[in-house]
Amino acid sequence: MARIFDRDTLLDLTVNVIPLGIILFFVVAFVLVDPFGGLDFYGRVLQMGLLVFPFVALAILTYVSGKAIAGDEKRSPVFFQGQATMEGAQTRHEAEADIEAADEAAAAATAEAEAEAEADATDDDADPDTTDEE
Amino acid sequence: MDENPGLSEEYRRASPWPLFVALGLPIAELGILFGLVPLAVGGLLLFFGSIAGILRENSYVSSTWRGLAALSLVVVALGLAIWYWDGTTQSDLLVRAYSVLGTGVLMLLAGVGGELFAQDAEPTL
Amino acid sequence: METTGQLLLTVLMGAFLLGVAAFLARVEDWRSYTPLGAGGGAVGESGYGHAEKPAGLIRWFTTVDHKDIGLLYGLYATIAFVVGGLMVMLMRAELTTPATDVLGSATFYNSLLTSHGITMLFLFGTPIIAAFANYLVPLIIGADDMAFPRINAIAFWLLPPAALLIWAGFFPIPEVIPAQTAWTMYTPLSAGVGNGNQMNVGVDLMLLGLHLSGVSATMGAINFIATIFTERAEEVTWANLDIFSWTILTQSGLILFAFPLLGSALVMLLLDRNFATTFFAVEGGGPILWQHLFWFFGHPEVYILVLPPMGIVSYVLPRFSGRKLFGFKFVVYSTLAIGVLSFGVWAHHMFATGIDPRLRASFMAVSLAIAIPSAVKTFNWITTMWNGKLRLTAPMLFCIGFVSNFIIGGVTGVFLASIPVDLVLHDTYYVVGHFHYIVMGAITFAGMAGIYYWFPLVTGRWYQRTLAKAHFWLWMIGTNVTFFAMVLLGYGGMPRRYATFLPQFATLHQIATLGAFMLLVGGVIWVYNIYVSWIEGPHVQSGDPWRLDETSLNTAEWDWFDAKRETSLAATDGGEEVKADGGEVVDGAPADDAADDE
Repeated sequence: MARIFDRDTLLDLTVNVIPLGIILFFVVAFVLVDPFGGLDFYGRVLQMGLLVFPFVALAILTYVSGKAIAGDEKRSPVFFQGQATMEGAQTRHEAEADIEAADEAAAAATAEAEAEAEADATDDDADPDTTDEE
Repeated sequence: MDENPGLSEEYRRASPWPLFVALGLPIAELGILFGLVPLAVGGLLLFFGSIAGILRENSYVSSTWRGLAALSLVVVALGLAIWYWDGTTQSDLLVRAYSVLGTGVLMLLAGVGGELFAQDAEPTL
Repeated sequence: METTGQLLLTVLMGAFLLGVAAFLARVEDWRSYTPLGAGGGAVGESGYGHAEKPAGLIRWFTTVDHKDIGLLYGLYATIAFVVGGLMVMLMRAELTTPATDVLGSATFYNSLLTSHGITMLFLFGTPIIAAFANYLVPLIIGADDMAFPRINAIAFWLLPPAALLIWAGFFPIPEVIPAQTAWTMYTPLSAGVGNGNQMNVGVDLMLLGLHLSGVSATMGAINFIATIFTERAEEVTWANLDIFSWTILTQSGLILFAFPLLGSALVMLLLDRNFATTFFAVEGGGPILWQHLFWFFGHPEVYILVLPPMGIVSYVLPRFSGRKLFGFKFVVYSTLAIGVLSFGVWAHHMFATGIDPRLRASFMAVSLAIAIPSAVKTFNWITTMWNGKLRLTAPMLFCIGFVSNFIIGGVTGVFLASIPVDLVLHDTYYVVGHFHYIVMGAITFAGMAGIYYWFPLVTGRWYQRTLAKAHFWLWMIGTNVTFFAMVLLGYGGMPRRYATFLPQFATLHQIATLGAFMLLVGGVIWVYNIYVSWIEGPHVQSGDPWRLDETSLNTAEWDWFDAKRETSLAATDGGEEVKADGGEVVDGAPADDAADDE
């Protein structure tokens, strides 16, 4: 369970921590500065409730969705979006391994010229599709 | 549901009822809102009749007639509610209440009658 | 007189019900004889005949297939878009002169204004999204169909009556006039109070139509939630769910909470109008209650409309950037964040209503916070394109146009979230310019990106590339000319919703109208292109028309297309013949737009 929220997942979740932080900032600001003053109890509940409710709801949804997504990542192979049901689709893991292998191969290759030639060759392959990038 | 998803492209992907559910609802709404009896009765019949048809198609009920009879209770309840509201506001809702109640009774009669006497008609409806 | 009318109505209704019964008997009869419907080839033009469906028109009226319903939604949205577009062209023509010289009546202008807004938001925006979602979500997540196919069909068929009711005032029916309440339907005007003409039955009909479209959207949303939760293929875990389905799921969640509220508020308004209740009367709940209820629906509605287009862009843009979507999970989480926060910002539409400033400040805080997830997405799209191998095809152009317009629309929106700025700009053309950058520049652009991208998937044919690009450039320039002029008009203090204006605003209004005519020309080109290409466009030459395999960016729906294509080629044995149709084709070389070499 604790493993689900590892560093990578927490990093992904920072995207929602920012709006949470903004709301929190205003909560603290309204408590400390109280710019309008003299709010009765009911008014205070409304003012804070309007901030606290979205905060709590967003925190819960972020937690639940993070758990579902990161949990499924741990449990089953991860594909790139829209490719899961395709035959012979690469998993994210395989793709990363390929890239790493390619990097290592490139680093290991002493003959730099050869590597360059290969790169040119792949460029040529791709060129007809993208001859004009306007 | 009736369909067997395992057969994918093989099963029939058609049903005549949704169109009439969708037509019945606005007609009934117009009829009840503006107090137009024919529209209220006809729309409700079309709406709930088509729902009964869908329930039968999905095998949620064993016969369209029974579905119709069960749904008539909903309509009667709605009619009673409008009848009750008539007493609570200045607006005259009696015509609306009677048309909804009447539709409910009509549906109940049709359902019971159909169940008792129209067994042969079952496969086609 | 009264009795004759009722009698006539009874006879008509009876005849109609008899007709329905006869039709049902016939169709049901046909159904019990089963595979008789094999003559499905009647619509074979687009390859849409199927043994499991009846032929001809009856097929379209009885279908519960998600793809057919998706196409029906698409056709419906197109018609609504054309109607709403023509309405606004009349309005823009009117606004070329300070007085009401063109239409001759401010009342008619007000009717057009009301109808344009409602048509575009409820009859075009929501349905065009449902079109994509219906057609694609089951294909992408590996579902056989939607979870509730019949409810899906009901949801669609509620829409045509809704449109007829909403437009009823424009039809030549005696004593029925169009609503002039604007799409926000603020009370007391919409409650028919006072000496105006808004007690007219035309307003009731519009409210009913709106109510129906809400019922339809809610049924669709329940269906999508159930489908995405329960019908996913085994491999499609939450981690593997694509971004478009995520946005549809979030949007459906928003619809589920927002639309029933609109429905209830509309019923309350109808009761106020017809049965003397006092929900929105001064002695009852008060007119401001309407604004709270309306905007508690209305602000989520904004995100209901924008999230799926964001999903389309997040889905399509990487395919033509030659790269995976940068920060996929950032986009997913920020979509969810927008979904939640959108319910906490409704009163930012009401900053100028005299609301307690201390509560107003809370709404400002959440409104500023919700800008972050949208900005995150923008950065993700830009970083996806960064250093990518861009292919500037028509869908990609529309995606880039989306990002560009969304930035302008978004930044102008952030200023409106700030109370002091809003108090100055409230109810000016600045607001109109801001939200049109979003609804036209972003939402509609993404819709067009989707239409061009999946055109080969749906029709098996190519659209005309040159026309598509002409469409894009006319729209890109037209959008910015029209709506930036509106932003400037707003800075100048031009108020919204007026048929007449002070002479000092004439130039900017004329520029806006010029831009609007560019949009009209672009729109005509679009309709022509889609129609003609559907009928006689060159056939697609492979199951991967966009050549996504080269960059390992192919996706499930094209896989399905490939499989379908191969089956049909094998079945008709017509593979060679189809190839000859396409002309120009050099082995493996791009057939049409994909080539992109001008």
